[in-house]
Amino acid sequence: MTRILIVDDSELVRNGLRTVLRANPTWEICGEAADGLTAIEMFKELKPDVVIVDFQMPGINGIETARRMTAIAPDVPLVMFTQHASPDLERHAREVGIRSVVSKTDVFPMVGIIEALLAPPIAPNGKHPPQQ
Amino acid sequence: MTERQKVNILMVDDQPGKLLTYETILEELGENLIQAHTGREALDFLLKTDIAVVLMDVSMPEIDGFELADMIRQHPRFQKTAIIFISAVYLSDVDRLKGYQRGAVDYISVPIIPELLRAKVSLFADLHRKTRQLESLNQELHALSARLIAAQDEERRRIARDLHDSVGQYVAALSMNNGLAIREAGKISPEAANALRQNAGLVEQLSKEIRTISHLLHPPLLDEIGLMPAIKMFADGFSDRSKVKVEVDLSPELGRLPPNVEISIFRIVQECLTNVYRHSGSEKAKIAIHPSDRNLLTVEVCDEGKGIPLENRLSMSLGKSQGVGLSGMRERVRELGGTFEVRSSNKGTTVIASLPLNGAGRGE
Repeated sequence: MTRILIVDDSELVRNGLRTVLRANPTWEICGEAADGLTAIEMFKELKPDVVIVDFQMPGINGIETARRMTAIAPDVPLVMFTQHASPDLERHAREVGIRSVVSKTDVFPMVGIIEALLAPPIAPNGKHPPQQ
Repeated sequence: MTERQKVNILMVDDQPGKLLTYETILEELGENLIQAHTGREALDFLLKTDIAVVLMDVSMPEIDGFELADMIRQHPRFQKTAIIFISAVYLSDVDRLKGYQRGAVDYISVPIIPELLRAKVSLFADLHRKTRQLESLNQELHALSARLIAAQDEERRRIARDLHDSVGQYVAALSMNNGLAIREAGKISPEAANALRQNAGLVEQLSKEIRTISHLLHPPLLDEIGLMPAIKMFADGFSDRSKVKVEVDLSPELGRLPPNVEISIFRIVQECLTNVYRHSGSEKAKIAIHPSDRNLLTVEVCDEGKGIPLENRLSMSLGKSQGVGLSGMRERVRELGGTFEVRSSNKGTTVIASLPLNGAGRGE
């Protein structure tokens, strides 16, 4: 099972995400946090495979949350889910290790994006490298 | 300062008897009367206290009245202090001229007519009191205007936040639900599926509009990431909406600035671009933000439009009302201790704000 941590201060949005993520039966929501600091604690404890993080939240924002998560475990894919998607935000997001920014007005690419992030990289010989 | 607050009148004469005479004459004005017996003593009082009127004898040992007046005028604080000369000896037109050249407001000969001296001193004392009152009112006005600007910024920030936290989240959830429902649209009638798609489109439109309103009220990137991305994002959105092409030239080495400076710069840029769209007719605008030296940041917004109409420029140069936009910008810059300039011709308008980089405002 792929374990996903959802970080968003809106319960409505977390509910919506849960429904959307049901599209892939091999995924489970391992935790939900409504603010960045709680999320970082859960990140350390639950060791999720993927994190979906909001941008604007009470306390520290999603960029700062992601920066701290990247410092703890740089290989865990982070996806930003926000109403404020823009090229500038995306640039800042990438600088702190966020792999992709998904707009809250168009959530459906989310499933495909997470699947792509989790797919093992293809080696130069065209074969998938052995799973570790 | 209340209307009847006393002002200081400085009387300078080397003869104690004369000082006593002046005091007797001026006593009934109810002001503070200060005696100085030498020019040096008088200068001492001037430096320590706010003096409304200086009444001085022309002929004194060491520093005479004319020399003392010269010394007083050299100090920027005393350029406009009212000086009244009194003389029993130097009474020729040349002497009087010498007095007026040194900025005297009057030249009185002895014997003094008490009523006349009292009336003259009283006039300048009142003038001083009114000037001080105006200065103090002016300061209060600036402080009030600064508080209003800060309150408006805070209110806009709060409304933007509320929009994001409540309506924005509902709309995001609606949009997600619509998307889920549309995936199953094949299971319902074509009419219902059509209505569902229309709803999804409407929610998307609603979401965009809320986002625009919220960003115009207070850009989320400003607090979270900083001025430069917020300005870039605003300029992009502005170009999309207005079809005015905006070039953004921002200094890459400029880091985060104090929050009050960042919001002020953002609002100035926002106001300038709004003016470009509403009044200039220009198809292009440019925003440039650079440190002009180690302690100064220059914010420049220019367009290639028709310029500010001549009559408006004339009233601006006379310091008259320039509309809320420009005076609001001027007030923000003043509050931060900077300078504000508008250059306009029929080839375009440039607004330049120079702000101290140490972040210390006027703190009035």
